[in-house]
Amino acid sequence: MTEANPLEGDSPKHKFVLGSLFASASLSVVASALIIYTLAEGTIEFFLAEEATFLGFIGGGEWVPNGRNPRFGIWPLLSGTFLIAGGALLIAVPLGVSAALYLSEFASNRSRKILKPAVEILSGIPSVVHGFFALLVISPFIRTYFDASYFNAASAIIVVAAMILPIIVSISDDAIRAIPREMREASLALGATRWETASRVVLPAARSGIVASVLLALARAVGETMAVTLAAGSVASLHLDPLREVQTLTAYIAQVATGDIPPGTATDAGFAVGATLFILTYTANTLAIGATKKRLGRKPGKLSKSLGNLSRKARSAISSFSNGDIPGRAPVDPLSPNSTDLKRRKSEVIWRRLIGSSLLLGMGFLTILLHSVIKAGAPGIDLAFLTDYPSSRAHLAGIGPVILGSIWLIALTMIFALPAGVGAAVYLTEMSRPSPINLFLRRTIQNLAAVPSIIFGLVGLYVFSRMLGFGLSLLTGSLTLAMMVLPMIVVTSEEALLAVPKGFREGALAVGATRWQAVRYHVLPNAVPGIATGAILSVARALGETAPILFVASIFSKTAPTGVLDGFMAMPIQIFFWTRHPSQSFQDLAASTILVLLMLLLILNAMALFVRNRAEARRSW
Amino acid sequence: MKKGGNISVKNLTIKYGDKVAINDVSIELIEGKVTAFIGPSGCGKSTFLRAFNRMNDEIIGASMEGDISWMGKQILSDEIDPVLLRRAVSMVFQKPNVFPISIYENVAFGLRIQGENEPSNLDAAVKQSLVDAALWDEVKDRLYDDAYSLSGGQQQRLCIARALAIGPSVLLMDEPTSALDPIATAKIEELISTLKSKLTIVIVTHSMSQASRISDHTAFLYLGDLIEFGETKQIFEDPKQELTGQYISGRFG
Ligand SMILES: Nc1ncnc2c1ncn2[C@@H]1O[C@H](COP(=O)(O)OP(=O)(O)O)[C@@H](O)[C@H]1O
Ligand SMILES: [Mg+2]
Repeated sequence: MTEANPLEGDSPKHKFVLGSLFASASLSVVASALIIYTLAEGTIEFFLAEEATFLGFIGGGEWVPNGRNPRFGIWPLLSGTFLIAGGALLIAVPLGVSAALYLSEFASNRSRKILKPAVEILSGIPSVVHGFFALLVISPFIRTYFDASYFNAASAIIVVAAMILPIIVSISDDAIRAIPREMREASLALGATRWETASRVVLPAARSGIVASVLLALARAVGETMAVTLAAGSVASLHLDPLREVQTLTAYIAQVATGDIPPGTATDAGFAVGATLFILTYTANTLAIGATKKRLGRKPGKLSKSLGNLSRKARSAISSFSNGDIPGRAPVDPLSPNSTDLKRRKSEVIWRRLIGSSLLLGMGFLTILLHSVIKAGAPGIDLAFLTDYPSSRAHLAGIGPVILGSIWLIALTMIFALPAGVGAAVYLTEMSRPSPINLFLRRTIQNLAAVPSIIFGLVGLYVFSRMLGFGLSLLTGSLTLAMMVLPMIVVTSEEALLAVPKGFREGALAVGATRWQAVRYHVLPNAVPGIATGAILSVARALGETAPILFVASIFSKTAPTGVLDGFMAMPIQIFFWTRHPSQSFQDLAASTILVLLMLLLILNAMALFVRNRAEARRSW
Repeated sequence: MKKGGNISVKNLTIKYGDKVAINDVSIELIEGKVTAFIGPSGCGKSTFLRAFNRMNDEIIGASMEGDISWMGKQILSDEIDPVLLRRAVSMVFQKPNVFPISIYENVAFGLRIQGENEPSNLDAAVKQSLVDAALWDEVKDRLYDDAYSLSGGQQQRLCIARALAIGPSVLLMDEPTSALDPIATAKIEELISTLKSKLTIVIVTHSMSQASRISDHTAFLYLGDLIEFGETKQIFEDPKQELTGQYISGRFG
């Protein structure tokens, strides 16, 4: 440590460190700028084409991108998106809120500790796996009972509901648990049952958090790509029939990505669709942030007003308020139940079971999903499958190069994202004070985290592949994924840094260390386990992510990459193509690949848990 | 009135896990009187109070032994449904804990859950309770405003109105004025003295002057033990136990 004379102010080294940390924190601004630039440029290009007009786009009811007379009216894609997102919310909101209410108000601590992570597994399952399940298990099931088409919205709705369920459960649960104990006690002390307390006091009091959870779930549902692309189909038509095929905004972009759309205006349309998607999810996300900020009880909320309205009917009667005694309703023996009390007891039992069963439904979904994947995929897994090359003949096909491609891809992604993410976290929590710039950086990261993953794919295609000339390579794929996992790494690293006691910093500063030295030698080392846990979970997320690299990965690369500019294949993409294959033997290969992917995810999650637990056990503070 | 008679506590012990919070206490609370529980913080006053409406049932790990008999029933026994007990034994807490809904609905809540939805009945009950809680004149023009728009003292009186609306025979109050300013405190003390004609009141307070002003009987608790119980005048002027005298003269706690 040969720092320059401290009284001379910042040494060049210190300035360099601070500069790099600031640069890391600014990368999310760069990423956001690239997103906006890509969407804007692509959209402008699209509107410059003579087939496309702005009015035709926002007002048109037909989406026919191919053929001699293409039409680009966004409404069929919007209606498809809203059918699926709306349908998924219709299922997931009641189930999710019930589950959250059950977990926080009725479940014992022990069952809560098991049930909550179990629900969260649903969101840890990659969306392409949900797509497999929707297309090859749920859709056939629906078709045996209803007159539905092979691709249909209903099967997509069901899996999207499962994917957003954990968002609603965990955010609503946080909101419900934030309601002070005193509020519940007040209600119980007035003779309310636990269910009456939960439904009539706790739930309304937690409404703003619940609204936020619904909005976030909406943003996620609107941005969901792979499951919807696989299950709902690729026919854009304006209807709201769940039994028929629909195309969503995301599914159209995915169609562009897989090369099923000819280059030219139809491909450029993908950017205009991407811009529309971006605006929708950004709006939902911003509203959600606004809803979380509203704290309990400041102003009368909507619900309070509607409750007020309820009795406002009686308002006219108020003038006739008598001065008499409370109406003769005191029971002769208050300690024995009257008929109303018996009814209340019954409905208490029924409601508890009902909301508890929402959790069973989630568990049931998970069980059936795993069961069908194992049944279809387990027989196909052997050494040859794990090492062979993909082939167009099912019995010869393996995923050796695909696994290697994924490993290369994720390794590169983390090389880009980890230092940048940790650097940004250090800058935001340790090296800067609350300021407009700091706030702006945080907002940017928050917004970046909510961008639908398929949009990163558009950026990768436009900026890294075309503009920078990296082509359809590992480099493009990993830069794209790095942008996507960056916010996650920043947030988890920040949490790890904030968990280090303040005293460590103050102790170091008090003996004359610079801020950076305090962080470097006393804070960072103690935050390593937390940062590592976050990093491992980010690896898991990137490993299962399909949409952003759909543009980049190529089914034509049959061998593992040997350099960063080589083409590559990755497991989730392979799953996607094999799931779409009309022949069952290939669909079974998809299931086998899913099993391998799920095993890897399981190992990663176990590692994260191990690192966290070991660090907690060893921690002296 | 339906005051329900005396409440007699026999050998009551309350534990949190293994920790004894109330140790073998026996006492008789007189119908239509105000009984005050005093004692240093942490001595078990709230725990004791919460036995009378079984609010301790809601705390995981809390357990009660012994008997409390009232209206010819053992209210700690499994046959008694705490939900029913609580509309006969109502409670007001230390911090005003109004619901984030309108003033009107706060008061109506206890009746609505019992299935009372007839507007004219609700209106009458809401008005009567607000009058009884000395809040009617201040809120009669804003019944549909959010309860949080009231001041702290008004909120606490709203909590009292809410507790009265269900027509209880006993009112438990756990340091109801400790979060309030002196003016609001005076209003609530005045209210207590008018309410006792209708109800049996048990109040926890750590203000000895408050206990001496408003209560008829006083129980002094110390580390979970009932040290002394008697008429308030006697406890304050001629305590039998040395510990009581020390506490009242402010030599500890
Ligand atoms: N929920 C609880 N869990 C465990 N111990 C508790 C709980 N509530 C109170 N106690 C303990 O019981 C004792 C009596 O508490 P309390 O009845 O609140 O006293 P007071 O109201 O006189 O201040 C205290 O030692 C307190 O720490
Ligand atoms: Mg207390």
